[in-house]
Amino acid sequence: MTVPIFELPDELRLSLITKQFPCREPQIRALATLLNPSSAPCRNLVVYGTEATGKSAIITALLASLDGDSFKHAIVNSIECITARHLYETVVGKVAAAVEWEAVAPRCESVSQLTVELSKMLRYTERPDGFRFVLVFDGIDHQREAPHTLLPALARLSEIIPSLTTLFILTSPPPNNLLTTFTPNLHFPTYTKPEFITILSLSPPPPITPSTTPTETLDLYTRFLSALHDSLSRPASRTLPSLAQASRTLWPKFIQPILARTHTVKEFSKLIVLARVHFQDESLLDPTLSLSPSPTTTTTTPNPTIKKTTDLATLLPTTARFLLLSAYLASHNPTKSDLTLFSTFHHGRKRRRGGFTGGRARKNGYQHRKIARKLLGAHAFVLERMLAIFMAVRTEWDPASGGRIKNGIVEGEQGLDNDIYMSIATLASLRLLVKVGGGGDVTDLGGKWRVAVGWEVVRGLGRSVGVELEEWLVE
Amino acid sequence: MAEFDDTSLFQEDDHRVAYMFTAPPITTAATNASPTTTTKSAPGRPAKRRRVSEKDTAAPLPAQEKDDDEGRQWPRLFNGLESPSAADLRKKTYESTWPVLESEIESVLRDANRQTLEEVVEFLNSDVHECEGRGRVPAGFIITGPNIAGQDLLFSQLGDVLAERGEGRGRFVRLRAGEVGNLKGGLKRIVREGMGGQEGGGGEDGRMRGGGRRYLDYDLEALRVEMEGRGGGRVVVAFQDSEAFDTGLVGELVGLFHSWQDRIQFSVLFGIATSVELFQARLLKTTARQLYGAQFDVVQANAVLESVIMAAVAGTKAQLRIGPGLLRKLVRRQQEQVAGVGAFVSSLKYAYMNHFYANPLSALLVDGQKLDKEILQSEHLEAVRMLESFKSHVEQSVEDGRLDHARLLLENDDYLKGRINRQAAKRQQYLGKLLQSLALVIATEHSKRSFVELYEAALDEGISLDQSPGPFDLGDAIKRSTPEELIGLIKRVMTVIVDGNPSLHWNGMGIGQDAEAAIDKFEALRADVERLIETSKKKKTSLKSKYSSQSRVLRTTVVAQKVQLSRDTATLTEEDNAFTAAIDDFFAFFKTLVGCEPLSNLFLNEVWQYDYHLPYEDVFVPRPGATFARALSRPHDYLGCACCDKANGSMVGTLPATSILYHLYSEAGASINVADLWAAYYALVGEDSEIGMDERSALVLFYQGLAEMRAMGFVKQSKKKADHIAKLKWL
Repeated sequence: MTVPIFELPDELRLSLITKQFPCREPQIRALATLLNPSSAPCRNLVVYGTEATGKSAIITALLASLDGDSFKHAIVNSIECITARHLYETVVGKVAAAVEWEAVAPRCESVSQLTVELSKMLRYTERPDGFRFVLVFDGIDHQREAPHTLLPALARLSEIIPSLTTLFILTSPPPNNLLTTFTPNLHFPTYTKPEFITILSLSPPPPITPSTTPTETLDLYTRFLSALHDSLSRPASRTLPSLAQASRTLWPKFIQPILARTHTVKEFSKLIVLARVHFQDESLLDPTLSLSPSPTTTTTTPNPTIKKTTDLATLLPTTARFLLLSAYLASHNPTKSDLTLFSTFHHGRKRRRGGFTGGRARKNGYQHRKIARKLLGAHAFVLERMLAIFMAVRTEWDPASGGRIKNGIVEGEQGLDNDIYMSIATLASLRLLVKVGGGGDVTDLGGKWRVAVGWEVVRGLGRSVGVELEEWLVE
Repeated sequence: MAEFDDTSLFQEDDHRVAYMFTAPPITTAATNASPTTTTKSAPGRPAKRRRVSEKDTAAPLPAQEKDDDEGRQWPRLFNGLESPSAADLRKKTYESTWPVLESEIESVLRDANRQTLEEVVEFLNSDVHECEGRGRVPAGFIITGPNIAGQDLLFSQLGDVLAERGEGRGRFVRLRAGEVGNLKGGLKRIVREGMGGQEGGGGEDGRMRGGGRRYLDYDLEALRVEMEGRGGGRVVVAFQDSEAFDTGLVGELVGLFHSWQDRIQFSVLFGIATSVELFQARLLKTTARQLYGAQFDVVQANAVLESVIMAAVAGTKAQLRIGPGLLRKLVRRQQEQVAGVGAFVSSLKYAYMNHFYANPLSALLVDGQKLDKEILQSEHLEAVRMLESFKSHVEQSVEDGRLDHARLLLENDDYLKGRINRQAAKRQQYLGKLLQSLALVIATEHSKRSFVELYEAALDEGISLDQSPGPFDLGDAIKRSTPEELIGLIKRVMTVIVDGNPSLHWNGMGIGQDAEAAIDKFEALRADVERLIETSKKKKTSLKSKYSSQSRVLRTTVVAQKVQLSRDTATLTEEDNAFTAAIDDFFAFFKTLVGCEPLSNLFLNEVWQYDYHLPYEDVFVPRPGATFARALSRPHDYLGCACCDKANGSMVGTLPATSILYHLYSEAGASINVADLWAAYYALVGEDSEIGMDERSALVLFYQGLAEMRAMGFVKQSKKKADHIAKLKWL
């Protein structure tokens, strides 16, 4: 046999990958040793680490470099598999594609069938000496609809098929790791600060001004990254992409004084002082749907008479706005204060702001500590109560809707007509009002609802119709 | 049921205040019932109450329709005396007028979306996201506003445009929240439509075939193989009503797209009714990180409404004028209640249907030539003589001393027919003048009101530039204009006279003496003013008129620490006087072009005006609650019985039991003791009262009334106290 029993993987290949993925050399070497057929191939291998630590990327690159006649691999991403059955079929499909197998089984519904199919392809077919197949399950702990025996069953695959190595990529190591037969584990730790800086400074931004040399820029960028990591990454975020994102956003702001020629590249500390505000802004790390400027701003609109507004307040018709405001009141005011707020029965004038509910001295000195209602969020309310509030405040908020009461029946615009139910339906379909609890008809007056917009939105909405909503809230 | 004679039923009972339905005797029902029911229920036994499946109800209908379709006619009006040809004519007129408007409205709506579409398509085809949002899924957020019905049109247009531009490579998949319940369902849809909707591709258990392999029907791999075979291209997935989607589902789908991004180029579009901020607040952060997007605004419903009104209500293509009262109501409802133009369009359609279906005089709307004298029958003439506009016209002629004319109108049928035939031309003339005036008023750009307000005012009160203050109070604004403004004004007015106003479909004054005279006049005026400007420039003075505010200046001079006010009238030069004259001249001539009467002053305007808002309100804004309350509190309004005449909303014993109970109910608190209720009821109808009912029959009626109250959802059995009922309805 010409193949030596133990041979370390090819240095040249490894060095390429190490260059591609800096700061990951130990992991790459360990992986190569554990996967290379001529080194110390193992049956199952668990690779774990938090997100964005380079697990999948390194494994993909390494396996691609190892590929050859006697080494094949297939990578299955669990995120893309909707059901366990989908996973099995994807595995069969990918393995078949890797070994160029023609007669792919039309279906594969269970783990046992998967075993049979894989055995057919890998075990009972003539393969070159020392043949090894690596099957990678990426993110297998996030598999949807996975049966609880899925992981153990997949781990047994390599016992049945000797030439198979199964590689699991997980976020955290399996909890009963030490209780079972030994499985090699490989941890991808999060990057440390020097590593972050090394990685990010590999792709420095272009020189700031034509006069600055790339070295100067790189120097400044490195120091900038270090400051950025200390101010943002350590307390708030630990992933490489978010730091990269933050540096992409901050860098232009940071070098603004240099472009304005008020400072030079050398004055790092002064630049830091100038950009201090930005460094404290953790919202940079908050992922947003980053919106590129809409093309409308650049092209002139051909028809200027048609005004485009996207404010919620202008989008909704008036009645819907009033209903939303009433719903907010119903959600945030306690029921017991309704009479004080909205009733005009005994006193001619309305009394607002709670009246006797607040400011009562406690006799026994015992302070009843309750969580403020405001902090508890929106409460559910009965639809009828909201409509009653709506009817009560409508005349005051919108004097134009002049209804008159004749023979005990509200006439004119004021009655509860179907347009109001239509507005409620509109709000519900926009998910501004949410029905709580299933069952029951939407028009059922006893149904429970909840408002789903926050204070800021509602206040703006109230102002758009000339209502200061604060005056109507008890707390 | 089928055995009723429809026409007789309509004629006799349709216009009564209340109609008591007496069930037909069962024997006729059994013998005449359609064969499907007779086979199912044994003869002589009443049909069982069972859930009628769709098949049962749907089956007999088409046959019936087919039956009627041949000779289906609109009911003849004038109590059946209307000739069939006249009824036919009304139907035909309706069928020829409404579709024109409908397509007109649709083209307006499509036009409104066009710009947004261009932007979206540009975004999807651009490579901006390649560099900035690398590795992310490009996402377009289309703010459509709460007009959810309008999203359908927008997205179907988008699909058309993308198919056109993509040359068959890209795929467009629309997802609606109602159709996509879970992840699997959504993926199935995407895969199926992404593969070009080949239903045949799915074999047994719905698998998709692709590249020699069969895939699960929710496997995106199938789509990838298919796309690869087609040479790449983009898959655009549109979430039509994003708010209605389960947020988790959107997140999972976006996660999948992101994961597949290196193999299939996915782009997503979100139709958003509220705002991107609200939408984003509901998304997971990881999902947000996977998207890279731009925001697009759609022209909002309010803005579209004006164009729709211009095209379909005010424009020349509208045969029927919607009266100012109804129009105001429609517009107001649109602004206050309804999101979306759809409601307005259907209201408009309803007005057309009503007019042609129920107004016999709508037959007169056809052009004078076509309206041969056969169609006009004596009932038509009689109806015409009842019209408000006819009466006022006759009165006016009498006042003017044209007694012969008035007499002929009243007595001579042929004379009246002649008049009727001429009114079509008059109507055209009036409309021409109305639209010309409106177009010119808009062209001055001095009116602060919207077109809809101007149009309403014009129909309601007519157009008169002299009336001040009024909607058409433009005199001051025009007179105050500077020379340059005046020239601009003249240019605009001339353009309108020549080209008309395309959104109104009004083609200008056309070629004729009037138009030429007007153009000549304006040309001369413009030349004059331009010459005056030249001269004053040479003299280095500024040209002004006596109307411009600079002519009278309040001067303040400070003399010995005292402020002196002096009114200074700037002297007008020769050119200024000439300019003043030019302005006066312009305004005087402008006044001859602008002006029209109120719609209701016109002879026979009822033929082509529809201004009844009651039917509209009954159909589109019903008030079931108020109707119930009224029927229960004042049943005599509907029953028309003599016994309760004097009740007038109060409680008397002669009212039906349910109504009495309703009165008692509205006075009661949240929970009602049934024994008390009975006592109160019995006191009103019992032996001691005027009615003098014995206890037993009173109790029966009481029970019946209470059962009815419960069936209508007013009360229910209280859980707290055994002998109480709980009040359910408060509003």
